Amino acid sequence: MTNTSTIDGNAATPRASFIAGSVIVSTVVLLAILSFFWTPHDPTAFDVAARFSPPSFTHWMGANHLGRDVFSMIMVGARVSIAVALVAVGIGVGIGAPLGLVAASRGGIIDDAIMRGGDLIFAFPALIVAILITAIFGPGAINAIIAIGIFNIPVFARLTRGSALPLWNRNYVLAARTAGKNRAQISLEHILPNIMHLLVVQATVQFSLGILAEAGLSYVGLGAQPPTPSWGRMLAESQTMFSFAPWLVLFPGLVIFLFVFSMNLLGDGLRRRLDPRSEGVS
Amino acid sequence: MPANHSAILKRQNAWAISFLLSFVLVIAVGLTSANAAGALRVGVQLEPPNLDPTSGAAAAIDEIVYANVFEGLTRINEDGTVAPALASAWTVSDDGLIYQFTLREDVRFHDGSGFDADDVAFTFNRARAPDSANAQRTVFENIKRVEALSADIVEFELIEPLGAFTTYLGWGDAVIVAPESAATNASAPVGTGPFQFERWRKGASVTLKRSDNYWGEPAKLDQLVFTFIPDPTAAFAALMAGDVDGFPNYPAAENLALLQNDDRFKTLFGTSEGEMLVAINNSKAPFDDLRIRKALNHAIEKQAVIDAALFGFGTPIGSHFPPHHPAYVDLSAHYPFDPDKARQLLADAGYPDGFKTTLSLPPPAYARRGGEVVAAQLEAIGVDVTIRTIEWAQWLDQVFANKAFDLTIVSHTEPLDIDIYARSDYYFQYRNDAFKRVIAELQRENNPTRRQSLLQTAQTILANDAVNVFLASSPKIGVWAKDVTGVWANAPVQANDFTNADVIGRAPLSAQNTATRPWPMMTIALLSIVGLLSFAAFYVRASPVFLLGRTVSMIFSLVVASIVVFLLLEVAPGDPAAFMMGLNADPASVAAVRAELGLDQPALARYFNWIGGLTSGDFGTSYTYRVPVAELIAERIWISLPLALMAFALSTLIGIPAGLFAAAHRKKARGRIMMGAAQASVAIPNFWLAILLVMMFATTFRWFSAGGFPGWDAGASAALKALLLPAIALAVPQAAILTQIMRSSVIDTLHDDYIRTARAKGLSFNDALRKHALRNALIPTLTILGLQFAFLLAGGVIIENVFYLPGLGRLVFQSIVQRDLIVVKSVVIILVFAVIIVAFLVDLAYAIADPRLRDRGER
Repeated sequence: MTNTSTIDGNAATPRASFIAGSVIVSTVVLLAILSFFWTPHDPTAFDVAARFSPPSFTHWMGANHLGRDVFSMIMVGARVSIAVALVAVGIGVGIGAPLGLVAASRGGIIDDAIMRGGDLIFAFPALIVAILITAIFGPGAINAIIAIGIFNIPVFARLTRGSALPLWNRNYVLAARTAGKNRAQISLEHILPNIMHLLVVQATVQFSLGILAEAGLSYVGLGAQPPTPSWGRMLAESQTMFSFAPWLVLFPGLVIFLFVFSMNLLGDGLRRRLDPRSEGVS
Repeated sequence: MPANHSAILKRQNAWAISFLLSFVLVIAVGLTSANAAGALRVGVQLEPPNLDPTSGAAAAIDEIVYANVFEGLTRINEDGTVAPALASAWTVSDDGLIYQFTLREDVRFHDGSGFDADDVAFTFNRARAPDSANAQRTVFENIKRVEALSADIVEFELIEPLGAFTTYLGWGDAVIVAPESAATNASAPVGTGPFQFERWRKGASVTLKRSDNYWGEPAKLDQLVFTFIPDPTAAFAALMAGDVDGFPNYPAAENLALLQNDDRFKTLFGTSEGEMLVAINNSKAPFDDLRIRKALNHAIEKQAVIDAALFGFGTPIGSHFPPHHPAYVDLSAHYPFDPDKARQLLADAGYPDGFKTTLSLPPPAYARRGGEVVAAQLEAIGVDVTIRTIEWAQWLDQVFANKAFDLTIVSHTEPLDIDIYARSDYYFQYRNDAFKRVIAELQRENNPTRRQSLLQTAQTILANDAVNVFLASSPKIGVWAKDVTGVWANAPVQANDFTNADVIGRAPLSAQNTATRPWPMMTIALLSIVGLLSFAAFYVRASPVFLLGRTVSMIFSLVVASIVVFLLLEVAPGDPAAFMMGLNADPASVAAVRAELGLDQPALARYFNWIGGLTSGDFGTSYTYRVPVAELIAERIWISLPLALMAFALSTLIGIPAGLFAAAHRKKARGRIMMGAAQASVAIPNFWLAILLVMMFATTFRWFSAGGFPGWDAGASAALKALLLPAIALAVPQAAILTQIMRSSVIDTLHDDYIRTARAKGLSFNDALRKHALRNALIPTLTILGLQFAFLLAGGVIIENVFYLPGLGRLVFQSIVQRDLIVVKSVVIILVFAVIIVAFLVDLAYAIADPRLRDRGER
C-alpha cells in the first residue's frame, strides 16, 4: 500500500470535485444509515420469482441468484464497509498519533524504537498479514478491522512525528516551555492542534484505502460472513454469472469505485482548504 | 553536474535490474514444477460416507469404487447392457429360478488373497442376512440359496423368478467382497478391480492406484484421484485452475458455455438414468382427478423448463423412462403444450377458476430454476402456485416419507426404476392394479423381447394416467481436459468406470517420482546477496558502514518477522496433529504424529528447527497434502513471480511516461485529464477491474480464456497470455499511483535551481524536462517502484483467485480452508522475506543513485 500520502488531486476544478466528492460520500453514508430503518427489499430474504431480475423499478439494481435485491444489499453492505474502514482509521489515529507525538517530544531511543517498529510493520505485506490474521482467528468483520487497523498505526505515527518535529523549534513552543509546561502538555495543547489538519487529510486517505482493503478481504471470503451482505462478497458470488447477469458484477464494483473515488476527491479538497501551502505544488 | 547525474542514473538502472534479476534467479534455481503425470484427478460433488458399496446406499460410493475397485459377477457396460465380469459365463434354468455362474480362475483380491466361489457365497449370504446393511437387501432376500459347487462354480436358487437378476448382479450393491476384508471395506476397500485403494483424505479426496495383479487388461492410469468439490462455483474454479482434470457430472451448467468455448476442455454429453419430473401427489384432491393431472401436463411446456433449468441440456420425455434405452417409447408429445386445452380440462373437472396449490422445491439448481418456470406456466392456466423452497432433509421427510406435498420437482436417477410406480406407498401415491400386474410379469420374465414389450406397456400406462408431468431426461454432462480419453459419457449406473481412461501425452508417474530435493534456497539467496553486496561496495565505493548498517537492519527485520509469524501460529487454535489425523483418530496416534512433527518440543526449539529448515529449503510437510511444503511452493511460485514481474513491467511502462506527460502538460487540459484518469484508476478495486477484463476480453471478445493457467509446458506465449489480463488488473491501480508520484516528482525537480539555470541559459522547456528533470525525478520514483514490486507479489494473492491461477495466492486460500497452517505460515514468511529483501535492495540502489544518502548512512 504505497499510495499513502501522495495522491495529488485533480487540479481541474478543485471546488467542484470537492463538492461532488462530498455529495457522493454523504449519499452513501446516508444510505448506510437509512438501511438500519428501511431498505427497498429484505436483503437476506429468498425470492425465487425475482431471481436474476435485471434492473427495474422494483429492483433498481436487479436481483441476484437468490432473488435478493442488489440495491438493498449494497445499502446494508455499505454499513460494514464504512464501519470497518472507520474503526480501522480510529485504531490508526488513536494509537499512531500518540506514538508519533511521544516520538517527536522525547527523541533519542524512544523515537528510534517507535519509528523502527513502524518500519517493521511496513515491511509486512499488509494483505498477507490480514490473510494470516483471519486465517488464524477466523474470518469476520472484527478481524478485518484489526488486520487493516494495524497498518494504519505506523502511517499516523510517522506523519505525526514528521510534522510535529519541526514545530518543537517554533517560538510559541519555546514560549510554552519557558512557561514551564511539560512535554505532554505542549504536545496536546500546541503541537496536536497545529497538525490536526494533516491527520484529518490522512484519515480520509486511509479511510478510502480501508474501504478497498475490506472489499478485497471480503471478496476472498475473509470479511463479514454471510448472510450479512458485503460489497466484496457480492462480487465474488456473482463472478461466474456475469455472462447472463452482468448487473450483479457491475453495481457493487461501481459503488466501491465511486465511494473510494469520491472519498479521495473529498480528501484532496480538505487538504487544499486546511493546508493552503499544498497548493504550491501544482 | 548533468553528466554526473546521467552516469549515476545509468549505473543505478543497471543495478536495479541486476538486483531484481538475481533475486528472481535465486528463487528460480532448484525449483522445478511437479506435474501430476499419469494420474487422473476427478472432481466429484459429494464425499461418500464410506467406501463399501455393499453396505451403503449413497451413489457417491459407487461413483468412486464401482468397477474401479470392486467388481461383481456381471457388470453394466456404458450402453447399459449386461456383460460378464468375475463370472465368465452363466446358465439359467427354464423356470428362471436356478442360476449357475462359472467364475474366472485368475482373479485375486488386492490384498493377494484368492477369489473363488466361497467368496461369492459369502458375499450374497452377507447381503441377504437379516442384519444386512445392503441397500438392495430386498432384491437379495429373493435368493433362497447360494452355494459353491466347486471352486469356480456357484449356484443361486431364487424364491421368485427375477428377469433382471443378472442386471442386479452388475450393480454396486452386488460386488464381490472377501470374508477377510469385508469388515474393513468401509474405510479401506479391498476388491478385485483394476485399481486398488491407496488413501482417503477425509474431506478432500480418495486416491486409487493401478492394481498390479488385475486379471483383465490393466488400467492405463497410474493413479486416480477423486477430489470432493461440493460447490458449483468452486467446481468451475478447480477446472479453470487445473486442480482437477474433469468432472464426470459437472454441477454448474450455467458456465458450461464458457467451458465449451475454451479449447482446453471438452464436454461430453451422455445419457443418464435421470428423469426430471413434476411429481404429483396422486391421492390428494384435486390431483386424484385424471383431468386435473392431464391439465397440468398440457399446461407445462417442457422445452421452456429445459431451457431455464438445464440451460437447454435435456431431452423432453413423456414417461418415466430414459430415451437411450432400447425399450424407450417416445411419449414426449403425448400431452402437447396447449394452455387452452388445460383450462378446458380444469373447467371440466370443476375448477374453471383454477385452485391453490404449493410446489415444493429441493435445493438442486435444476429444481429451483425449473420450479420458477413451472409455477409461471401453471399460473397461466389459473392455478395459484405457492413456491416452497426446502432442504434435502425436509424433502426426504415431508415429501418422500410423509407425502405431505402437492407438487414437487425432482430427478429420479436410479436405472430401470419404473417399478416404483407399482409401489402403493411410494410418494406419488399412484395406485393402478393393471400397472402392478405388468411390473410383476416383467420381474418374472426372462425373454428379452417380451421384457421389452412389457416395459413399453408400462411406459404407456404411466403416460395415459398422467401420473406425473414427465419433463426431461437430464443429460450427464462431463467436462474433461482435452487430453483425457476413455471416460464414460453415459451413466447407465451411477458409476464412473475408469478402467480404460487415460491422459494422453503425460509422462508416466515413475518419471516424475523424483525425491524431494531440499534445495538450500534461502542459503543460496543469502549468499548471493552477500556476494552482490561486496561487489556493490567495490563498484560504487559505498561506505562499508552504510552497507553493514543496512544489512544488519535487514537481518533484524527478517528475524523479527519470523518471530512474529511464528508466534501468530503459536496462538492459532487447534492442534495440527489432530487436524492431520482426523476426528476419529485415537490419542496415541495423534501423540505419535505430534512427536513426528516435533510438536512436543518446547517453543524455542521448534522456532530454531523451523528457521533451520527454512535456510535449508525444508519448510516441513503439508498437513493435508502430505507432501513437502517446498514442493507445493515450488510449483506455485512459477506463476506468482512471473505475474508480479509482468505487472511490475506494465505498471512502470504506463506510470512513468504518463506521469511525465501529466507534468509536462500540467497546466493544460490533457495534463489534467491524465491526472483525473490516474485518480480514478487509484480508486478501482483491482479484483473488480479483473472481473471486468474477463467480461470484456474473455467472455465477449474471446481473446483470452476466462482464467486458469496452461502451464509453462504449453509454451511461453500461451503461459504469458494467461498471465496478461491478471497482470493488467494488478498493474493499472499501481500505474496510477506511479503516475501521480512521477508527476509530483518531476514538478518538484522543475523548481530546482539547476533547471532554472538551464532554462535561463536558453534551454527549451522540453529539453530541460528531458535532459535534466526526468533523470532526477526518477530517483525518488525508484523507491516507489521497489515497494510496488513487493506489493504486486503480495497483491497477486487476490487476483490469482479471480483468474483461478494456481499460484501462491490460491495455495494460501486452499490451505486456509483446509486449516493447513504450515503451508499458510511458509507462504507468508516467503512473501514477507521477499518484501523485506526487495525493500533492502531498493534502499541500496537508492543510496547508490544518491551519494548524499550513502555518505550520511540514513535517509
